[in-house]
Amino acid sequence: MKIFQIRKLVIISITGLGLMIMVTIIGCKASQQVSNKSGAQLWAENCQRCHNTPSPATFSPEQWETVGLHMQSRALITDEERTKIVDFLKQ
Amino acid sequence: MYLKRNSLTNYNLRNMKTIKILSGLALSMLIISPMANHLYAQDQAVDTTLANRVTELEIELSHKKTGEDHFMMAGLATFGFVSNSTTTTSGGISQKTTTNSFPDVDHFEFSPLFLWRHGDKFLLEFEPSFDGFSLGVNWADVSYFVAPGLILRAGYLVTPFGTYSKRLAAGWIDKLPTDPTGLADYPPTSDFGVEAEGGLPMGNMKMNYDISVTNGLQLLPDGELQSVGAVDNNKNKTVTARLGLLPLSNSSLEIGVSGMWGSVGDANSPYESARSQSYAADLNFVKSFSPILVNFKGQYNYTFVNNQNYINPSDSSVYTFDNKTTSGFAQISFRPTGSGNNLLKNLELAFRYGKYITPSKSTWGQNSDIIDVSLDYWFTWRTVFKIGFQSSNGTSTAIANSGDKIKSESLFAQFSIQL
Repeated sequence: MKIFQIRKLVIISITGLGLMIMVTIIGCKASQQVSNKSGAQLWAENCQRCHNTPSPATFSPEQWETVGLHMQSRALITDEERTKIVDFLKQ
Repeated sequence: MYLKRNSLTNYNLRNMKTIKILSGLALSMLIISPMANHLYAQDQAVDTTLANRVTELEIELSHKKTGEDHFMMAGLATFGFVSNSTTTTSGGISQKTTTNSFPDVDHFEFSPLFLWRHGDKFLLEFEPSFDGFSLGVNWADVSYFVAPGLILRAGYLVTPFGTYSKRLAAGWIDKLPTDPTGLADYPPTSDFGVEAEGGLPMGNMKMNYDISVTNGLQLLPDGELQSVGAVDNNKNKTVTARLGLLPLSNSSLEIGVSGMWGSVGDANSPYESARSQSYAADLNFVKSFSPILVNFKGQYNYTFVNNQNYINPSDSSVYTFDNKTTSGFAQISFRPTGSGNNLLKNLELAFRYGKYITPSKSTWGQNSDIIDVSLDYWFTWRTVFKIGFQSSNGTSTAIANSGDKIKSESLFAQFSIQL
């Protein structure tokens, strides 16, 4: 009986947490000031949080797409930031 | 008669004209025909050359098509030299040992990173690593970029406990030639499991979350924790989670808190009820105060295992101790990136203070203070040469040799490059 109660509690907690994350993800928006930032500015601000800012010449445009995904999963930058930074590095 | 003769002459003249025209035409045909044949052959040759060229271009273009799958290699290589002097004082007697290692065996690493991208939704990562002794794997996982702010991952992954292991440990990223003592690998952070993570905008701020469910840790008879590996030692899973906040719109500051909870005892063993709890706080601040770029990083770890009985390896007696481990570091580095001097702007000076306390009255108890300083030269954004010095002062709190002093000094020369 106790096991079922614990399981019920765990299921409710996970569902609640999942819903909370979904609501947070859907509801989150960047301010106009942040949205207006260019890829170059985001590159300068975010890459140096962990390492030196990379040279755009380091990788090919295709490779930057791959590196962009890898970096997003490490630094947890937003999708908009990744897209803008990668577009800047691909030029 | 005259008229008849005249008409005959006219008739002959007309005939002559016709003959001339016909002869001209025949002659023209004779001349033009080979020329036409030649021109036709020429056209055919041009068409063939053009067709061949188009085929060549098509083949070339097909090679340049982006396709769905993309493979690339990155990774890193780190190697160097260390000269170490360690003095151990026990019962008033000191013993000094000195070593010189080339390459630096504690900080050698060759880790190629293989990345496969399938479209823009899937990323496969595999990083084998040779550390001078063995060939291991840092991570091997598959990520699925589900939606903005949500990435799912499965495989052998780095759990989200603090930020050092996941973001800062690579030799070409770390400002110092050493890892913070006791923090980079305790509790162990590479594990088999699943993970959900993402970065989210919040007006002028940002937040990120990272949560993993993995096989977890295993409690050893001396009270230490190690990664359990691919086969879990019990029915329970370990949950690790980190929440990060970037309160400033320029992303210069990040504050994070992490937790790791799970059962660590082997099933059907005396440690079946053992559970561990770990907590971490991390801080990252990077800002340019022209002309100097200031980089501050810090992390504090705390790991606790609930009350258990352990086996003393010296006499196999059963004993207990307060099994909690703390470690932490604070580091700051300065780089004059705004300097007009090329040599100067590639130099970086870094300091780190570290603290490492393992459980007193255990077989591995110690209390250490570690100071690191390093002067780095950046050849490129991802290639660095470091000259570092580390001083470590430790006092043993272990059950067998409590009070012993360990003083260690090391000089490092290290080169690290991203592949």
